Amino acid sequence: MEILDKLTILADAAKYDVSCSSSGSSRKNKEGGIGNAAISGICHSWSDDGRCISLLKILLTNYCIYNCAYCVNRSSNDLPRAAFTPDEVAQLTINFYRRNYIEGLFLSSAIMKDPNHTMELLLTTVKLLRNEHRFNGYIHVKAIPGADSRLIYETGKYVDRMSVNIELPSSGGLKLLAPQKKKEEIIKPMSLITRQMKQHKEEKKIFKSSPSFVPAGQSTQLIVGATADHDYQILKLSEGLYNRFQLKRVYYSAYVPIGIHPQLPTLASPPTLREHRLYQADWLLRFYGFQATELLDEVQPNFDTLLDPKCDWALRNMHLFPIEINKAEIEMLLRIPGIGVQSARRIVAARRMAPISYDGLKKIGVVMKRARYFITCQGKYYGEVGLQERLIRQCLISKPILVQNKPEEKQLSLFDVYQLKESIITGEL
Amino acid sequence: MIIFVYDNSFEGLLTAIYEAYYTDIKPRAIVSDEYYEPNLIDNRIYIESDITKSNKVYEAIKKKISQDALRHVYHVFLSELKEAPTVIYKYLLIAFRMGYQVDFLLTNQHVLNMHKISKKVSREKHRMLGLTRFQLIKEDFYYAPIEPDYHIIGLLAPHFANRMADQHWMIHDVKRGAAAVYDKKEWFLTEVDMKLQASVGAEEELYQELWKTYFKSISISERRNPKLQKNFMPTRYWKFLTEKKQS
Repeated sequence: MEILDKLTILADAAKYDVSCSSSGSSRKNKEGGIGNAAISGICHSWSDDGRCISLLKILLTNYCIYNCAYCVNRSSNDLPRAAFTPDEVAQLTINFYRRNYIEGLFLSSAIMKDPNHTMELLLTTVKLLRNEHRFNGYIHVKAIPGADSRLIYETGKYVDRMSVNIELPSSGGLKLLAPQKKKEEIIKPMSLITRQMKQHKEEKKIFKSSPSFVPAGQSTQLIVGATADHDYQILKLSEGLYNRFQLKRVYYSAYVPIGIHPQLPTLASPPTLREHRLYQADWLLRFYGFQATELLDEVQPNFDTLLDPKCDWALRNMHLFPIEINKAEIEMLLRIPGIGVQSARRIVAARRMAPISYDGLKKIGVVMKRARYFITCQGKYYGEVGLQERLIRQCLISKPILVQNKPEEKQLSLFDVYQLKESIITGEL
Repeated sequence: MIIFVYDNSFEGLLTAIYEAYYTDIKPRAIVSDEYYEPNLIDNRIYIESDITKSNKVYEAIKKKISQDALRHVYHVFLSELKEAPTVIYKYLLIAFRMGYQVDFLLTNQHVLNMHKISKKVSREKHRMLGLTRFQLIKEDFYYAPIEPDYHIIGLLAPHFANRMADQHWMIHDVKRGAAAVYDKKEWFLTEVDMKLQASVGAEEELYQELWKTYFKSISISERRNPKLQKNFMPTRYWKFLTEKKQS
């Protein structure tokens, strides 16, 4: 098969993996080598769906022994199959890299033959790149659940990021749609990577020259909308993953209907608004000091479609507002709708020089159409409807960004925006 | 009203700042001679570039204000905007009084003007780190034509010198007739007036084809969103993008 045909098949098969981030690693180039990693990550292009392209994201193969209902590569699906050799992947990566098309490689794979065989091929590929081609650019590789720990450990020494995709947010969903997979098998490589990362960090404190292990951390992906799981369950799961496994990122992937299956929902279009709300909440967990239980609960297990999670939280907690901009601690500033991590920091820096006025806040970059209902500036309140939850709610949703009837049509871009350079300042790596 | 005019070089600009600071004549604005248009009201004073004076200002910014301030000054200079020299001048007037804290004056209009332009330049630089496309035009010589809004090739070159350390390359700012060239040891800036007509070999054609194929395959058609794509990757950059240009 021609390399062009293989690329068509194996890039197409990889496109449902959301992660494309190339941040978090500062690997240096070596004498006579090619490539390095930029700590902030660099986007190299944007595809027609508006998602950033940073890495060459391909599967090593889409031949799969599993038959997971939600997955396009399931064994029962009738579609063209292909497999790259490790050498082909290395050649593609190096030649794309030399032309500055990409920031590195994101190599994933379906399970060919068995997990160990697949993991071995992935390891061979990254070793080839690092050792033969002296490639020091970014590499993200999938850890294959069920593969031998030694193989996963060995791979971790060569790459910048590893990930294991959980895909289905509950064991129930797993049983229903991917009966061949077990929760334990997914969790095992994750905890292995977490342990090794910790250990290597400790060693690095003592011996600076000791090798790094997955320096950009690990991530995972959850599919949204393929199972009956609520936003609350998904967010709780993410919170657990951040706390227990120190994950760098959890990605959410709006389920794109592929094929018909009795256990799968029939959706007109991918639930991108729901995906967007989950990303917003995810940011609140990681950078704004929120906990999942503050944002959702058993009674209200799904996010409001009209209001973002932060506004929604603020309206349910009106007793905390209004907050005086010139006095509040940064933790409280971060909880005000319309104030992000950057503007909170700018407020703290600016008020050290002089009290901030309403006009000054605008200049700092605070989104006043949301913030004004929740703040006072030098003692004065600027929301024209008074501190009334119901009225403020109306004001906030009176001009919805999204057309109410067709919420699925527009993909919002918060998640990609954060991959710009500013990510380094606010720490969203 | 007095206007200082300088020769469009960074040294010239810093000399003008020096004169404005140390003489009694306080200009209303500083303008590059590229942009200066005589009028009846203003009194034009031409400032000769002076390397000693400009070095003094350079060191003073670094020591008395901050490294960050120096970066802002240089980036705003590279924006080549007509108002840039005056914005820098007004910023430095405050900065020499305040020291490093000037960058916390986030509600001061002069500081904001400065940060705004500086950010635009940094943004474009970061964007071009990704959007620069090299083509192999001779054995081991990679050529990348670009047309950035601001004069940023000097900011791009160090990045590519670290990254593409084992290949010869040239980044050519076609609009400004300037290029950054790397010879596997170091990079330097030079003038390149001609338009390089790149004729590429079979290998280059193959990889361009592969990249275009990849670009198409990686997009999820159910999520097509050209507006979002253009937000991130404005069409003015498409001319030199392998995956987007019309061949």
